[in-house]
Amino acid sequence: MNRYLKLVHMEIHRFRYFLLGLMALTLVGQILTVAIATSNEAAKFRDPARFSIDSADKLSFEWIVRISQGMFALPILISMAALLFYVFLIWYRDWLGRSTFMYRLLALPTARRNLYLSKLTAIVLFVFVLLSFQLILLAFEQLIFHWIVPADIRGESVFTDVILSNWLFEVLLPLSGSQFVSLYGFGIMAVTVLFTAILLERSYRIWGIGYAAAYVAACGFAVYATPFALGVNQLGSYFYQWEIFAIEAAVCFLVTAVSVALGFRLLNKRISV
Amino acid sequence: MIEVVNVRKRYRRRYVLDGLSFAAEKGRITCLAGLNGAGKSTALKVIMGLAPYQEGAVRLDGKPIDRSSRERISFVPDRIAMPSSMKLADALQFMADFYASWNGARARELMRFFDLKEGDKVGSLSKGMAAKFNLVLGLAPDTDYVVMDEPFSGIDVFGREAVASVFSSEWVEGRGVLITTHEIAEIEHLIDHVVLLKDGRAVRSFDTERVRDEEGKSVVDVMREVLLA
Repeated sequence: MNRYLKLVHMEIHRFRYFLLGLMALTLVGQILTVAIATSNEAAKFRDPARFSIDSADKLSFEWIVRISQGMFALPILISMAALLFYVFLIWYRDWLGRSTFMYRLLALPTARRNLYLSKLTAIVLFVFVLLSFQLILLAFEQLIFHWIVPADIRGESVFTDVILSNWLFEVLLPLSGSQFVSLYGFGIMAVTVLFTAILLERSYRIWGIGYAAAYVAACGFAVYATPFALGVNQLGSYFYQWEIFAIEAAVCFLVTAVSVALGFRLLNKRISV
Repeated sequence: MIEVVNVRKRYRRRYVLDGLSFAAEKGRITCLAGLNGAGKSTALKVIMGLAPYQEGAVRLDGKPIDRSSRERISFVPDRIAMPSSMKLADALQFMADFYASWNGARARELMRFFDLKEGDKVGSLSKGMAAKFNLVLGLAPDTDYVVMDEPFSGIDVFGREAVASVFSSEWVEGRGVLITTHEIAEIEHLIDHVVLLKDGRAVRSFDTERVRDEEGKSVVDVMREVLLA
């Protein structure tokens, strides 16, 4: 456990500048968006040609987020792409290049599953750090909005409405606990499948590329096809919707368990440097 | 004693180790020698659990090698095995964090001996300095055995003298050393035992002193006789 935590710490330490970079990109991108969009919208409200402002027609932070869909989503999409890239980099950087750190990692006097789990934990932590940062940033952006917009034209926004006003926030920050667990559980499953694919490639090299592609395809098919096979899109399905959801959850859990077990086995028995 | 018993390792369709057997004893320097592609580095990787094998056994003092053995055998690979962005001080801390056998005082002595600076980054080291730092990481732990893969690779002539002097120092004394090197002449006088490898097999195994005394031959003479025959 102690060595697992040390490995997690090391992984976070190695990614810290990359993570700070993504946070800085989101911070700068979204604050500029809020500042510019709010100033523009506030100017429109001051236009004398505009009819008088009543209480129902005020400028809200929710409106600013709603009209800036793309600019709010862009840094998050870049961060998501960077994290997806990092899922591969977190393994390959230790094999490739002048410093083959994998020699050292595989020779550590600790169970090799700790390597796998520490990398997985690090990725999950990065996702949640970025999500938390986004939530804090939204609150900060709302403050900036308050500084720019005079009180007489400023409408109040409920935080949940702000989240629901951007399509990407709505996806990444689901308001129900079960949706949150499903979404991030699905994400963790996807990462374990990719980790196993990477380890298949590292274990069997050229043949491993084929094995990895086949493994990802098989997992993808199992997860994607199950609801349809159970009749999720048919009116007279034998199963209730919640039953289909439960079976799909079980399939995802099974795919995750098989991926992790296969990953451990490859690390213990097949991997080489 | 590190024992490699009848190990066979296949890479694609070829056996790179084909029934390899030899032993490295504690307190002795054993050299795996052979031409390029003979299987020397692969044999060391098999001992360190860095390469799977299909048949045979690797034992440490009669027991199969497992992860606890890594506290008793340290490894000096043929390349720097630390992230380029890491400072040497961080790399030393990494080793201290993970190895119960790590000896910080010895690490500091070795750093001074090789004139390495803790503030330097791993990626900024020249090939020779990186090889010396690898030796620091391999020799600092209180292990019974040290496995070294080409420790002279990339080191200049004076650096080689410094590295060679390590083999007769207290840092190595009492430990079992298993080494592969192309620079046999550099350490021939320090080697106790030689295992000659050809096509993944041990084709001859001998004590250097006995061969020197009884046959009047150097290690290179025997290598020429056996490997080029």
